[in-house]
Amino acid sequence: MSVRTEPIIAITPKRISRRWILGGLLLSWIVLAQFLRGKATLELDNPDNSPFTTWAGEVADSIRDNRTDGAAFKFFFNPIREFIDGFVTLSRELIAIPSGSSSIPVLGWLGVISVIGFVVYAVSNIRMATAAVALTFACGALGLWTDSMDTLAMTFAAVILSLAIGIPVGIWAGLSDRVLKAVTPILDLAQILPTLVYLAPLALFFLIGPASATIATMVYSIPIAVRLTAFGIRGVPTSPVEASISMGTTKRQLLQKVQLPMSSRTIIMGVNQTVMAALSFVVIAALIGAPGLGKPVIDALIIRNVGEGFVAGIAVVLIAIMLDRSTSAAISSQDTFVPPSDADRKRRRIGLAIAGILAIVGIVLSRQLAWAAFFPKQIDISKQIASASDSSVKWVTENMEFLTAGLSKAVTVGVLNPLESVLANSPWYLTVVMITLMSLILGGIRSAIVSATLLGAIVATGLWYDTMITFTQTIVATLLTMVVGVIAGVWIGRNARAERALRPILDAGQTLPAFVYLIPMLGFFGPSRFTAIATGIVYSIPIVVKIVGQGIRDVPVNMIEAATSTGSTKWQLITKVQLPAAKKSLLLATNQGLIFVLAVVVIGGFVGAGGLGYLVLLGSSKPELQGKGLVAGFCILLLGVMIDRIAQYMVARNSAPKH
Amino acid sequence: MSEVSSAISVNNLWQVFGPNPEKIVGSADASLPRAELREKTGNTAAVRDVSFDVAPGEVFVVMGLSGSGKSTLVRCLTRLIEPTSGSVVLNGEDIMKVSDARLRELRRTKFSMVFQNFGLLPHRKVIDNIAFALEVNGVSKEKRHARANEVIELVGLQGFAYAYPEQLSGGMQQRVGLARALAVNPDVMFLDEPFSALDPLIRRDMQTEVIRLHEELGKTMVFITHDLSEALKLGDRIAIMRDGAVVQMGTAEELIANPADAYVEDFTRDIPKSHVLTVRTIARPLADTETATGRTIPAETIIRDATAAVLDANGPVAVVANGNVIGYIKSRDILQVVGGGTEA
Amino acid sequence: MVRNKRVGAKASVLAAAAALLLSACGGAGVDAEASDAPAGDCGSYAIAMHAWVGYTASAQVVTEIAKANGCEISQVTLAEAGVTYDAMESGSVDLVIEDWGGGRWQEWADRGALVEVGENGNIGLIGMYVPQWMADEYPDITDSANLNKYADLFVTDESKGKGAWYEGPPGYTTIGEKMVSANGLNFTVISTGSEQALIDVFTKADADKTAAIGYFYEPQNFLAKVPLARIKFPANDWTDPEQASGLTDYPESPLIKLATPKVMDANDAFTKIVKNFSWTNADQNEVAADIESGTDPAVAAQKWIDAHKDIVDGWLK
Repeated sequence: MSVRTEPIIAITPKRISRRWILGGLLLSWIVLAQFLRGKATLELDNPDNSPFTTWAGEVADSIRDNRTDGAAFKFFFNPIREFIDGFVTLSRELIAIPSGSSSIPVLGWLGVISVIGFVVYAVSNIRMATAAVALTFACGALGLWTDSMDTLAMTFAAVILSLAIGIPVGIWAGLSDRVLKAVTPILDLAQILPTLVYLAPLALFFLIGPASATIATMVYSIPIAVRLTAFGIRGVPTSPVEASISMGTTKRQLLQKVQLPMSSRTIIMGVNQTVMAALSFVVIAALIGAPGLGKPVIDALIIRNVGEGFVAGIAVVLIAIMLDRSTSAAISSQDTFVPPSDADRKRRRIGLAIAGILAIVGIVLSRQLAWAAFFPKQIDISKQIASASDSSVKWVTENMEFLTAGLSKAVTVGVLNPLESVLANSPWYLTVVMITLMSLILGGIRSAIVSATLLGAIVATGLWYDTMITFTQTIVATLLTMVVGVIAGVWIGRNARAERALRPILDAGQTLPAFVYLIPMLGFFGPSRFTAIATGIVYSIPIVVKIVGQGIRDVPVNMIEAATSTGSTKWQLITKVQLPAAKKSLLLATNQGLIFVLAVVVIGGFVGAGGLGYLVLLGSSKPELQGKGLVAGFCILLLGVMIDRIAQYMVARNSAPKH
Repeated sequence: MSEVSSAISVNNLWQVFGPNPEKIVGSADASLPRAELREKTGNTAAVRDVSFDVAPGEVFVVMGLSGSGKSTLVRCLTRLIEPTSGSVVLNGEDIMKVSDARLRELRRTKFSMVFQNFGLLPHRKVIDNIAFALEVNGVSKEKRHARANEVIELVGLQGFAYAYPEQLSGGMQQRVGLARALAVNPDVMFLDEPFSALDPLIRRDMQTEVIRLHEELGKTMVFITHDLSEALKLGDRIAIMRDGAVVQMGTAEELIANPADAYVEDFTRDIPKSHVLTVRTIARPLADTETATGRTIPAETIIRDATAAVLDANGPVAVVANGNVIGYIKSRDILQVVGGGTEA
Repeated sequence: MVRNKRVGAKASVLAAAAALLLSACGGAGVDAEASDAPAGDCGSYAIAMHAWVGYTASAQVVTEIAKANGCEISQVTLAEAGVTYDAMESGSVDLVIEDWGGGRWQEWADRGALVEVGENGNIGLIGMYVPQWMADEYPDITDSANLNKYADLFVTDESKGKGAWYEGPPGYTTIGEKMVSANGLNFTVISTGSEQALIDVFTKADADKTAAIGYFYEPQNFLAKVPLARIKFPANDWTDPEQASGLTDYPESPLIKLATPKVMDANDAFTKIVKNFSWTNADQNEVAADIESGTDPAVAAQKWIDAHKDIVDGWLK
């Protein structure tokens, strides 16, 4: 997330009194909430609509009625849908589904693996290529070859389309300040928007199916491509650009001969990030009919078992690692502009030729022989993995119940219920006033205005109560995330070995779809709000740990040396030097934590957490509640923006130079 | 100076940042000190009413501390930064008035620039960096590489044509920068602190290199620097800038001999005057008690170089300009300058 | 040179692509080996998959039969009703083998997106259930009028001081809140989110003799394993799906099949299967039980098909 810098006022004496005011405010809030408990909570029963949601439902209905012969559909939405559908089908037929009249895809499994090996070798090196081949093969060994290929094909299609839009827009935003200014708010918004939110509106226009899923994925990944491309173009050092202009380049020449080649590294990094974003959308896209690995995950969540979900989750991670490593290997091969020697180049050309021949052999075999076309069923380790994970979750549920139940009860009774009674079960006006006042103190007048406006809008939608339920869960999950995240972050920030050991786990944790976590959590904690909270915590901890760890590492060495030389203990060093110095990172981590948690808490609607997420799901299957579902999505958006704004203003405030 | 005899003629050039910059030019506010101007109008005047002429083949140095506006000035001369008002006449053509296309053409053929941070393209070989301006001008690969090889030879980069910039040292990289600027055989070269990023020893080599190139090719140069000794070493004439305006302009000797104000004097204080001034500046009438030795010395001799001859003479030496004796000096006069005791 | 390498890579990719085209003609080899199914004249269809095991059983049986008759079948997992109907409208799903929606698809049918194909033979009955031990211990609990009397038994941390009412997943047909208010019950509706969660709730309640009231339905094979007692609520008119409140209980209703016009117009093997498919709750439970116990759905379905050749042949006529 970009850190915006705002005008800053930070005066030391105020800081102290601010803490007191904040405390007083909290106290009076709690007291007032006790007195006014249950009054004016604006609670709306799940099957009921508010005037606003009724209206939204009518709008949705009229859009739907237009589908067959409305001009917008005939000439805009439907052609787009058909084009994307065609494109997706094409890429699926290449590797995943039978093509044309044939009973196999264009490439059988051996063909796919050969091509992957060859392409990865061509963009990076032999080690990466071997790893990519092994990882792809492993997906087949998990018994999920076709689903994995579907995921790969969907990701590929979405990435190609995202880049086709994202890179040109990014270049434009890189060249023009005005364009950058125009797209930045959209990019920011896209980053805080939980993915669940835009499924329903997109489905309304593009219906259910791979096209909708692809478009939803693009909505998620295009901003990343735009941002990094623009960043790359802007990051080109000024002096070569200036020198080139002084030599009379046209704008086009400048772009082609200077800016693009010099920003290629960042742009490839953008490609990498776009790929990862698209992949992370795989599971949630299954909710609107995307084929691929999302299907078994959702199946497992709703009907079957931890094991199957886990196996599918592993396949997602394997593909993620494969794509991530091979694209980032392409970046590091760009480390220098200096080419290898002629001898190296020759060796490489021979290598490429051999790899090319192997790939062609693989392709031909996969089209001629059944064993090379269909992934061998004998190689299947999914049962073992599934039952192992099944039994370990079962063991925990059976033997650690005191722990899981205790944890769940402690958080629910000790934190969740009291907070909910303050936020949701007290009058709405009390909550609005208090949140506004607090954001005034924490973030300044602008953040107070933003909060008041957004909260007012939420009240107007009629979904105030459910929004506050979701907000409560988000806050609780974030608090717990920060506790764990800061401890772990400080640890890896101070200890390079711990950092090295934890990093792969953190990376894998970030790529595993949230749904995969949801399944065992459901096993541990049953259908409850705590299940959603626990999932949110597990999902957001990696990013928080990373940011905090980085913040701690970035504390200037001389600061630490100075403190150590005055005889600070380790504890004093952490609490009095490193944490305060990393304050900005802590705030940033909180902000990211909140946004990540929100995205998952919403999914908690699947497991009995109630709130806005549940309404979104309800709306997707019950036509009479679709308006409510859409509005619930809108409220998630408002909530996300509010959280982000307050946090951003706080970050801005705290990055003030201290006197 | 008349227009014909100057390579560049800069007249009343202004560059003002901020809101409504045109309004500042010529108004009473324009003369306000920098901070007050910003306070009052929100504008910063980076270049204020600068005028000068550079003769063909002259090396004209603009000197000033950072923030004095010298870098903005040189960018205004090629319109890398658009000036607010004023004119820059190059070979009789006011480049402020030319179209974008013509401006590109001028940049491709008539003038070239060398930058402090080299501004080389890291993804291109040395030869393609040097040939870049020719390339964007549509010169065929064969021709532009032939030309590039000529200048590679000229600046002593033989053997590095197919290297990449990051494989070269800083000094070598700036040689590429110089070669690139020379490749188009420009009428005027602008050098913006070209050697500031280099080590002192390399810097001295490069200065010598520029002098050599200038002697060989006779290019008109506008050279920007913050280093007075560099300015003195290279410049036929020097303009000293402060807060966007030129405070004094003249030959090295004029500046040192007659600093216009305390600012210039402050600058020149640490310069060994004997290295800059000619004997002309210390020539004086013969005192009643003295008798001329009959020896003479040309008026344009640098004091340092005159030392041996004058000390050897054992009495006043006549300073001769255009065949006329304009005054006398003896060893004490020289020792005073070398010792730094006298005001010149 | 990054450049050179790229050019090299590009050239090789082109070469590979060319090879691909050349070898494309050779694909027939695999096809001949692969097609163990009789080459029927049948199109390619997508079957909606819903997240309860009974549905999986029905859909899988249809899938296996259709595949055996040369149809190309894909399965698309979706929530019930709205989303699925949208999917049928977009053409990404062609068949719902078991619809509980109570006619909410009418709007889509009016637009020509889907066609009602008739009953599938299963009789669906949703209801609120308690574990059998509760019915034994508190005999009058199965009458909804007495539920409030026992509300205290059902209180949990999640239920805000009232009884916890475990509701079906959001993708199912649920009217819990309407029932609570129409019947004047002192309960809080808590969404469980999945069939598995409901099964967990009842399994635990049965094993630990704890109290629980929750959404369940038949046909569902689980009812054979863990005895549950259905609560009797006052009946109501179910014919008006738009009814905002006042729904007191779920009706017993025959489950129906929905298909796209594409299926109905094709007149191929799949059309026949879809039109004729009909089986009993017992049939479904038989397949579902196998799936529940860990058999691969395709294998479980095939097992039933092999054992009921006569019925299957009837569907294909």
